[in-house]
Amino acid sequence: MFGYYLDLALRSLKRNRMLTALMVLAIGLGIGASMTMLTVLHVMTADPVPGRSARLFYPQVDPQPMENYKKGEGPPDLWTWTDAMNLLHDGKGVRQAAMSGGQVTVVPPGGVTRAFNAHARYTTADFFAMFGLSFADGGGWDAGDDGKRARVAVITRQLADKLYGTPHAAGRTLRLGKYDFRVAGVVDDWHPVPHFYDLNMGDYADPEQVYVPLGTAIGLKLSTMGSMSCWGDFPQDGDMAKASGCMWMQYWVELDTPAQVAAYRQYLVHYSEDQKQLGRFERAPNTRLRDVMQWLDYNHVVPGSVQLQTLLALGFLLVCLVNTVALLLVKFLRRGGELSVRRAMGASRRSVFVQLLVEAALVGLAGGVIGLLLSLFGLWVVRQQPTQYAGLAHLDTTMSAATFALAVCATLLAAVFPAWRACRLVPARLLKTQ
Amino acid sequence: MRILFQIRPILAALRSHKTAVMLLMLEIALTMAVLGNLVFVVYGTVQRSRVPTGVDESRIGVIQSIGVIGTANSGTIENDLAVLQAVPDVVAATYGGPPLWFTQRDSVFLDPSHGHKLGRVYEFQGSQGLSRTLGARIVHGVDLDDNEIPAVTRYTPTMEIPVLMTKALGQHLFPDGRALGGVIYDSGNNPLRVVGIVDHLRGSITGSPDDDWSIVTEFMYGHQDGGGGFMIRVRDAAQLPEALRAAAAALQKANPGHVSNKTFTMAELRADYFKSDLASGRMLVAILLILLVVTALGVSGLASFWVQQRRRQIGMRRALGATRRDILRYFQAENFLIVSGGVLLGAVFAYALNLFLMRRFELAHLPAHYLLAGAVVLWLLGQLAVLGPALRASAVPPVVATRSV
Repeated sequence: MFGYYLDLALRSLKRNRMLTALMVLAIGLGIGASMTMLTVLHVMTADPVPGRSARLFYPQVDPQPMENYKKGEGPPDLWTWTDAMNLLHDGKGVRQAAMSGGQVTVVPPGGVTRAFNAHARYTTADFFAMFGLSFADGGGWDAGDDGKRARVAVITRQLADKLYGTPHAAGRTLRLGKYDFRVAGVVDDWHPVPHFYDLNMGDYADPEQVYVPLGTAIGLKLSTMGSMSCWGDFPQDGDMAKASGCMWMQYWVELDTPAQVAAYRQYLVHYSEDQKQLGRFERAPNTRLRDVMQWLDYNHVVPGSVQLQTLLALGFLLVCLVNTVALLLVKFLRRGGELSVRRAMGASRRSVFVQLLVEAALVGLAGGVIGLLLSLFGLWVVRQQPTQYAGLAHLDTTMSAATFALAVCATLLAAVFPAWRACRLVPARLLKTQ
Repeated sequence: MRILFQIRPILAALRSHKTAVMLLMLEIALTMAVLGNLVFVVYGTVQRSRVPTGVDESRIGVIQSIGVIGTANSGTIENDLAVLQAVPDVVAATYGGPPLWFTQRDSVFLDPSHGHKLGRVYEFQGSQGLSRTLGARIVHGVDLDDNEIPAVTRYTPTMEIPVLMTKALGQHLFPDGRALGGVIYDSGNNPLRVVGIVDHLRGSITGSPDDDWSIVTEFMYGHQDGGGGFMIRVRDAAQLPEALRAAAAALQKANPGHVSNKTFTMAELRADYFKSDLASGRMLVAILLILLVVTALGVSGLASFWVQQRRRQIGMRRALGATRRDILRYFQAENFLIVSGGVLLGAVFAYALNLFLMRRFELAHLPAHYLLAGAVVLWLLGQLAVLGPALRASAVPPVVATRSV
């Protein structure tokens, strides 16, 4: 039966090639444009650390003074040095790391005249294991190195290749400004999208090239980068560890079980209470604990322009669907005569309906092929654009399959109403006028 | 007049295709809603990219020069500035950065205890000559004077510092109009006394009115070595690329221990600042064009169908004396009626979508003339799309009437 319907559908589509082409093109354009934008959105809202994101949490406490206090306002997004060090010392998570962005002047073996600036991350030992970075050579540093402010560094494979011509650079000397560091390890390419662990560097920023122990970097007064919010005085000598009234750090913690998460929430409240008793905090405990995806959502990471484009692309798909409904409707109704003959010969309404849907599905399939080609082209165009996220726009298998599914489903949906109208025609009346 | 006489039969004919006509109207209405809002969004971006920063943009160049810590360096900022000034065509040079480039923002207060926050302002800080180099127009008071700005070596956390303030910030902080001579505080403890008001100085261009809330402070630099942004202003905009190259080379020579990372003109900085927004705008326009093509295809497809379906009726009308022109006019008038219906519905949709976008994306209110322009575009598009099928209809010979289907 299905073969027969297919045959009928093909004949019908061939009868009016122009109109068939119009329908296929309209669906293809609609699918192509909307899938291009949906893919961009899909990439931008993707999980930056798959498999780990539900176990990584960003805690927040509120160390600010009562001044400018607004009831119900959430705690700040950044950490003070003192609080970050206290939490790190307590070590209540499975793993934890305090961190800040920074900038270092890398002096290559070639000499000072070739020096260049690179983005750095000043962090603590757990960073690498917690975020799942893999090492091409050597390894990270340990808590002992953090404590004694060891001059060690971890660099990316890209930087190792640039400086030493080999990824096997563990043990080599890395000169940052006027200080020498020992390369402890070389990490493989790691490009979490978005740059979730520090959104102050730009939501879709490239990862850092150099990692240095936080204590070492602050002790040597290497320059920090990112957002800073102060209510107290900033120390004149630039020693960030003394900036007790400034928030400028990030803090991440790994918690593996719901029980640990609950315990950690309690801990944050207790910590805030203790600090208030000590007189450091003035406000009542105001804490949050968000996992990676909640953190991204809370920070509205997807740019408004992409959301707007996606919305418009969906509106566009809607226009294309209405267009298809209208074209299918006239096409089906025009074939009233033929359909009536089939009904008079004993075909049930149901089989006429199915036959028409098969025809529509064929149109949808062809539209899907065109749509897929158009979205490949569309994504290529997006990649040529000088936007921050341009390089990420690629069609993966999920999205390719989704493109086809969307094309066929959309067309079938569009065909339901016209097909229903067509099989409700009264055969006798139409046959008489013939 | 003839067209008016035709409207009744057209309406009668459309009534028998109610569903298809309504679908077509819906399609046109949706197109119009998307069209109006999208053009509005893109036009807003283009307009924003043309807002001036208030500085002498076409004559300013920037050199980013970074001192490498630990290398012997004989350079001093005083000397660096002298070297830059000596470059042919350079009229002013300073140690400091331009607008749109790593601009700092800080909160300002009217009292030293920081009790009452007045807003966040852009702070332009630099060495002597910053204001001269930026070339912002002073409308009241005086420019910063090299003899009165504090020396960076004598800085204390409580000393009074003279500042320039933008007109917009002055009006915001001192609604009584007495900004000149007024004192404000930033998050430090220094009183900042306003000595001059500049016309405009935008730290960034986001479209918000506080883009133009800026202050300028200068410090006298002498024998200190410093790295970061150096800025020059030239006499003749055409000479800027040449002068910038010469200035970067001179600075490098004076500071062998510095790394010259980047040099760029203010025009390049602006192009870079807006390239992402303008790229998004181009993508939206591309979507819009495809949308119009699809709508035209839909209109054209339906019209072709109706022409085919009514071949016999057309033949009869021709046999009864209607001219080719009459048939053409009939289909054009029919299209005009359908598009008009769609446009009316579309105006409602466009406003609804605009209300949603206003809430979701802080978009401004859609002005009515966008709807009018959208309607005109759709009418023209409709006429264009129907022209082919209508011409085919007018070519139907009268003899068709005598044949059976």
